[in-house]
Amino acid sequence: MTMMADAPGEVAAPVRAGPLWRATTAIWRASPRLKLGLTLLLLLLALSFLEPIITHLRLEGRGPTELGTFPRLASASLQNPLGTDVFGRDLLALLMIGLRFSLMVGLIAGGLATAVAVFVALLGGYSGGRIDYLLNTVTNAILVTPSLPILMAVAAFVPIDLVLLALVLAFFSWPLGARIIRAQVLSLRERPYVEFARVSGFGRFGIMFGEILPNLVPFIIVGFSYAVIGNILAETGLRLIGLGPGDVISLGLLLNWAMTFGALAQGRYLMVLGPTVCLLLIFIALSLINVGIEERFNPRLKGVTGN
Amino acid sequence: MARVATYYAARLANYLVVLLIAFTIVFFFLRLIPGDPVENYLQSLAQQGFRIEGSAQIIATYREKFGLDQPLLVQYAAALERTFLHLDLGVSLMNYPQPVESSIMVRLPWSIWLLGVSTVIAWVLGIAAGTVTGWLRGTAFDSVFYNLSISLAQVPQYLVGLLLVLILAYALGLFPAGGAYSAGVAPGLNLEFFGSVLYYTTLPALSIVIVSAFFWLLTTRALTVSILGEDYILFAEAKGLRRLRILNRYILRNTLLPQVTGFAVSLAFIVNGFFLIEWIFRYPGLGSLLVAAVGQRDFNTVQGIILLSIFTVLTANLIVDLIYPLIDPRIRTAAERA
Repeated sequence: MTMMADAPGEVAAPVRAGPLWRATTAIWRASPRLKLGLTLLLLLLALSFLEPIITHLRLEGRGPTELGTFPRLASASLQNPLGTDVFGRDLLALLMIGLRFSLMVGLIAGGLATAVAVFVALLGGYSGGRIDYLLNTVTNAILVTPSLPILMAVAAFVPIDLVLLALVLAFFSWPLGARIIRAQVLSLRERPYVEFARVSGFGRFGIMFGEILPNLVPFIIVGFSYAVIGNILAETGLRLIGLGPGDVISLGLLLNWAMTFGALAQGRYLMVLGPTVCLLLIFIALSLINVGIEERFNPRLKGVTGN
Repeated sequence: MARVATYYAARLANYLVVLLIAFTIVFFFLRLIPGDPVENYLQSLAQQGFRIEGSAQIIATYREKFGLDQPLLVQYAAALERTFLHLDLGVSLMNYPQPVESSIMVRLPWSIWLLGVSTVIAWVLGIAAGTVTGWLRGTAFDSVFYNLSISLAQVPQYLVGLLLVLILAYALGLFPAGGAYSAGVAPGLNLEFFGSVLYYTTLPALSIVIVSAFFWLLTTRALTVSILGEDYILFAEAKGLRRLRILNRYILRNTLLPQVTGFAVSLAFIVNGFFLIEWIFRYPGLGSLLVAAVGQRDFNTVQGIILLSIFTVLTANLIVDLIYPLIDPRIRTAAERA
């Protein structure tokens, strides 16, 4: 599910080889959409990291998950901007906890998935031959396997915790990134400077990680971002139907609480709207980041912005 | 011609290999589950308040019957044989002693209808809109649709579904919140039933269409813009061809082909979210069956639905790849030359 070309013929605009942070600043300056997406994502992250402090100040030290702190099912007010749930818990505080756990699960599993994706793509793409064929076949097999039903089955039978959840999510979310990154490796390995490194006696891993890797940064970010999107989508879906670690309050679990309580039928729309809007903002931020990078680094898409 | 045959053979072999890998992944993932299916199912029954006499004996009997007392690799080989040679998915535990296939067959038509209608509409709409916005790039029209599609193309369909239920079903009361047809209508070959089905399908279908159409818009627009930069477009314009002819014969033709492949590839992604759409709308398809089976710990039904969806996605990809040389002469000649 990507507009990133994966044919080896597509040539990436080279990032000036050098320290990783220079590549990173080049990406930041690349596109206004990217800036908007990153700003939005950083805001959401800041909000979720500051959650304990904000909640502590707002609830005057009372625990956000304590039952009966406030009147049950209170409407929105200055004290409870989103109202309270059937147990008298402040919905805004729960929402912020949910945001933190959703982002955390997505980012941790996304990081794991991206590490695997980079390794598989570099090894297969640079080595070519049988190794590449094997890795590519496995990548495609996992890519076409609908992960959510398997995740549902595992979560239904196994007492799943945060670590296992992240591992299973990562297992299913690395292939897309691997495909995107591999396409770039295939194009980069034919470049003169890689040839130069090869004849200068650099080892295989030296070339893979020292010469090719820095130029993959934009594509690694895109792969990471797609993995996070996939993970949050799957995690939320899993929690929506009431599966997964019960002690981890994520946005999906909040939606599940709202649905089993019958929030919609009772006209308590904020219980559903809160988590939904938070999730939409996460997905929009990640999507903006991806499109921003693709506009800048995929030459086939130059001029896509219309400028 | 022999080269084309080689292409087909290689593609077919790849299909079988990928199918086998996917099957293996599913098999061993589901065996991560501690205990065995029968034990789990009886436990879930006990939790629901059923009293089960002599459960140890029942478990032993069924273990033997399902071959669960065999070593894992023997089970794996047996499962392979049963699934692929006999097309046997086992016995449903929640609808015992019905085979899983028959519970699936009852639900399958509903899922095919909903998924078929919505993905085809989304594909056609998205490609038409993507070609036009790409053609009009830089205009206000383009920037509205482009930004909308960036925002919506990656959003899960079930979130859009939740918003649609909230707004159109509960807040405004325009559409039913769930089900496949009105309770007052008897299923049959009459206009009233079809009308009711159409009315009830609107919201779940719309949830899929909105997200997918914007996804296709985004990818088609990118394709269109890159084609617009080609020399043959410049030449066509210089020749003085009418714009509509250029759009139709030079651009649309070239965007359609990759999007046919894209359609098959995107199926896995769509199937993922599709199951939850069904659950949200209490739609009587495979997704609702899956959620119910997961809830009741009916192992065989869960495994059967997963295998069926993988098989569908892979086969769709195979079919597209097999007919691709017929619709794209470039692939044909490349295969002949290779």
